[in-house]
Order: sequence, then structure tokens, then C-alpha cells
Amino acid sequence: MTRFKRNDPEITRRKFINVAMGTTAAVGGVSLLSTLGAANPVFRLTPDKMPPLKGDLLVHAEGSKEGRPVRLEDLSIQLVRAWPMGKNENGEDVIRKGDPNNILALYRFPQGQLVAPTNLEATINGQVVAYSDVCTHAGCSVSDSDVNAGEMRCPCHSGQYDPKRGAVVTGGPPPRPLAQLPITQQGENLVVSGFFLTYPYPFTSKEEWESHIQEVEEQLA
Amino acid sequence: MNQWLDERLHISRLNDKFLRKAFPVHHSFFLGEITLFSLIILILTGILLALSYEPSNSLVVNSFDPGTADAPNLIPAAYHSALKINAQPFGDMLRRIHHWTANIMVAASVIHMMRVYFTGAFKKPREINWWIGMLLLIFAALTAVTGYVLPYDNYAYQTLKVIYSIAASIPWVGEWVAQAAFAGKFPGDGVIPRVYGYHIMLLPGILLGLTAAHMLIMIKQKHTQPQYAKRIAYKKIVGVPLMTQQTPIMLMLTLLFAGIVVLFSAFIPVHPVEYFGPPSTTPIENIKPDWYLLWVFGALAIIPGDLGFSLLGGDINSEFLGAIVLPTLILGLMFAVPMLDRSRENLYYAENPTNHPVRLGLGVGFMMLLIVWSVAGYKPELISAGILSNTNANTVLWIATFLLPALSFFAVQGIVRGIRSLREADARDRATFQAADD
Repeated sequence: MTRFKRNDPEITRRKFINVAMGTTAAVGGVSLLSTLGAANPVFRLTPDKMPPLKGDLLVHAEGSKEGRPVRLEDLSIQLVRAWPMGKNENGEDVIRKGDPNNILALYRFPQGQLVAPTNLEATINGQVVAYSDVCTHAGCSVSDSDVNAGEMRCPCHSGQYDPKRGAVVTGGPPPRPLAQLPITQQGENLVVSGFFLTYPYPFTSKEEWESHIQEVEEQLA
Repeated sequence: MNQWLDERLHISRLNDKFLRKAFPVHHSFFLGEITLFSLIILILTGILLALSYEPSNSLVVNSFDPGTADAPNLIPAAYHSALKINAQPFGDMLRRIHHWTANIMVAASVIHMMRVYFTGAFKKPREINWWIGMLLLIFAALTAVTGYVLPYDNYAYQTLKVIYSIAASIPWVGEWVAQAAFAGKFPGDGVIPRVYGYHIMLLPGILLGLTAAHMLIMIKQKHTQPQYAKRIAYKKIVGVPLMTQQTPIMLMLTLLFAGIVVLFSAFIPVHPVEYFGPPSTTPIENIKPDWYLLWVFGALAIIPGDLGFSLLGGDINSEFLGAIVLPTLILGLMFAVPMLDRSRENLYYAENPTNHPVRLGLGVGFMMLLIVWSVAGYKPELISAGILSNTNANTVLWIATFLLPALSFFAVQGIVRGIRSLREADARDRATFQAADD
């Protein structure tokens, strides 16, 4: 170390290298960020990815009746999976399975078995009820329980729900009940009469779900 | 010719430095080699599979079952190409060999790590290689998981959904991270090309780089010497050189290992894509991850769902705690192993596990913990079989989580004490007889 500061009019080699390295790191960092940004594609809310909407017809999601409307006589205390079917911009039928979280679980219980906290207003005659079939824990499809008839069990981490009581969690890790979907009967068919009453998977809060509804409504308007 | 090459490439230096590397003679030292051979077989079979695989999840007509012109049978291209690979001569076999070898690679590396831990081979100066080994284990598991997704059958689809939701469960940034990692909201249009890139380019590249570093450091630092080396020639390296003694042993081991893998693959089918069918909303009963991730799965199954809380606007849920925080803690504990050792001396000789009962007991207890959680992964089966009930399953499994590792720790201490007293009795006898001989 010298006591005298050298007053060199020219830039020193060390300073030049430091500035060059700093610039390279900054440019590299920014370009890395932009690359990471490009890794996440833009999401477009197309009709096949919209949540079940008012007026959507419920159609079978699996088995030999796949794609055909669900009838009341198809339902029992055994789970029936269904997709909502709506219309696209051209008025053609579109099954909303672009978002796999739209899968629904339908049950029909004898009169009087469906009790609160199920919203009975949103069921058909207090008998037929529709829930989101996506486990609120890790997003798997929920099945019928293999132990108790009329109950549900998720095969992934064994979350359990009771569809007779608003799909409350009766065991396992799920944090909240399955979301109930309000439905009505129109002639032979089952029709959606509104948005999910609570927030379904993958939404983690009421606000998120409400802003999503708003997005959907803007898109439809 | 030798001289010509040597003057240009310094072959003799390579010979002195690397080809004369001494290998300790003990069967437990083959575990690392088996891991390495697995990686080589995986890369070779992986290249062959990649040649016939179509990385795309856009829908194509199933050429094996085209349906009708009005209602064509559409399946994802990746799944279709997996069916086509199965239909090729030796195609299904190739998939099975790839799958079995992946399992064996993880198994061999886990047992290899156990050998290193129990003999104290992680101690100074080999801490860095322990950490690189940990990274290798983590990236090997990630590579295996991404490989799982590629056939894009229903099983892969359900697995991917859980992986996506685990990534999305990270507070604040989760949704963004999951979408960036898997090309958009689940299941994005580009999810298979994205995972394919990870599985055949990014992760194998990382694995190869880490393996090279692992090997080079090992050659530089030399193996720990087995105990007999101490008696034969103290502080000298004892073993057989790579060229020409160890090489035939390695070749024999490779052939034997490859033979066993082919035998396995011939008789034990893995991941029957035709059985699971294309992606659908029908869940697969008793879906389970591979055995080395079963402990995370089990922990997720017994963690209560209402454990979550909000912190500064971020949602910390049970899934994040079980699938990210908990494994991070477990892996962090394993990373910290060399730092728990305070010896300042370099370690030359593999230690006898019974001379370090606390380390031995902690290791056994740790493995017992992972076994308990893996059993917890079978919770639904335990309930269906009537062994546990819905109400007591979590309680029983949580008690086992704490009790069984503790019990195994104390059991190990007892057994070690027994072994020691036997050894001391032996030494006393020997001393008496020696005295009598004189």
C-alpha cells in the first residue's frame, strides 16, 4: 500500500476488468430472467378451459356413455363423473375438459340423506348433488370409498370426504371440503345453475376464485 | 507406436495417474461401481428409446385402434409412441431394462451411501465427495421422476398432476414456478416436450458432470483403505491397480449385473402402459410413487390437512410442509453429516461400525424413520385390510414415527455392547492361551 494515491488519467487494467465482469454479469442475469420468463407460456382462457358455467349441460366423462348427457336414472350412491358442456364462440358444443380440474362428481341419495352443510337449494330435490371431483389436497380425482358405501376416498394420499354432508373432510390430509356445484333439472337433463359455491381446486383462497370468476365473466361479455 | 503416442499425448502420465489407481479389495466397494454401470446402461438404453419416442402431448389417432371416421380414437402422441415402442421387436424389453436399471441405480447408490456412512468414509478429507454424492442422489431421483412422466399414460398423468401441485404449493411463487417448470397451467400443451428436455438433456448432463467430479475427487483422494490394509502395510495404499487387475473384475461385474437386469426385465414387467391407458380423469387405485419416494408420499398421507397457515400473504399448506419442507429437512440432515464430525485428522482406514455405536444407532434409526413413513404410504391398504381404522391410523403411524426409530437406536446400542463383550472375551482368551503357549 502506498500512501499516495496514483492519479492515472487512464483507466487501470483492474478497473476495466471489474467493470467488464460486472456488465457481463448484469447482462447475463437480465437475459437469464427473460429466458425464465419465456419458460412460462401465456395462458389463454378458451371456452374448453372455463369453469362450469350457468346453463352448461352435464355429460358423462367415462364409460360407454362418454360424451352423452347425464340422466337422473344414471345416478346412484355410486359416483358418476361428468364434464360440463357449454358452447363456444360459434355456438358449437364444447366439452370443458381443457382444464382437467373441471371434472365433476355426481351422486343421487335417497330423500333425506343429504344434510347440511350441503346446500340443499343447489341440489335437485334434495337428492342429486354435484361436487368438484378434484381433491383439495394434491388435485387427484376422488373415487368412491372401498370401505363405506356413499363416501369418497382419494387414491393419492387417502383423503376422505362425505358427499352426504357437503363433502366435508372425514379423514386424511385435504385442507377443505370439495366445492359444491349448483345444478337444476331441465327436462331430462342436468344443467349447471351457477358457479361453484366455494372455491374449488386449484384455487387457494376465495379472492383468487372470485377474480377468476370476474375474468370468466369479462371474457363472456 | 507407443513411443510416438507417448511423445504427443503423454500416455505414460495417464497410466501413472489414473490407470494404476489402486482399488481396495472388498466387495462393499463394488456398490459405487454398480451405480456407475447402471448410469452407463441407462444412457445407452435411453438413447435407443429416445430414437423411437415422440415427445409431444398433442392428440393423434391411435393406429392400433383407430376408432371410426366420425369418432376417431385420439391419444397423446407420446403415449402412442410408447405403444409403438412396445410393439417393436425387443421394444418392451428395452423399456423394462431402462426402468429396472433406474431402480437399481438408486438402490445401489443408497446402499453405497450407507457403506460410506457406516464406515465413516465421509470424514475429512472426503466431505466434498459426500456432498456431491448427495447431489447425485437427488438428481438421480429427479431424473427417474421425469422419466416416469414420459410414456404419458394415465399413471404418468396422475403422477404429473401431483408433482405439479407440489410445485404449485410453494408459498408466494408456487403457481409461477409450477407453470414455468411444466409449460403452463396443468396439463399445458407443451408439458411433454418440456419434461422430455429435462429427462434427456438437462438432468443427464448434470448427472454426468457430477459423476465426473465424484470420480476425479475419488481418484485424487484415494479410496478409504479397508482395515486389513492397516495390518499389511500401515499408511501405504493397498489394493489392485485398475489396469490390468481391477478391469477384468469390473468387466465381470458389469456382465453379471447386466445379465441380472436382463433376467429381471425378461420376467418381471414394469409399468404396463397398455394397462393404464391414455390420460383420463379416472384415478388409479393405489397409485404409489417409486419406493425411494414412498417416504415423502407416506408423510403426506399422515400430515393433517388443517396444518396450514398464512404468512405475509403466502399460503403455507400441509402439502408444502410435507412434500417440500420435510424432504428439505431430511436431505439437509444428510448433507450435514460430515459437519457433525469434528475430527481434524485425515481418515485413511474404513472404520468398524461397532466402534462408533452412536453413529451406527443414529443411522439405523434414520432408516427406520424412512421405513415407517414408507409403510405409512400404504395407509389406505392398511385401512382396507382392517389392520388400522380410519380414526386411529394417523395416531398409530405418528406414534410409530417417533417410537420405532428410538427403539432401533437403543436396540443397536445393546447389540453393539454384546458384540464388544464377545470381542473382549476373545481377546482375553487369546491372551491367556498365548501366555500358556509361552
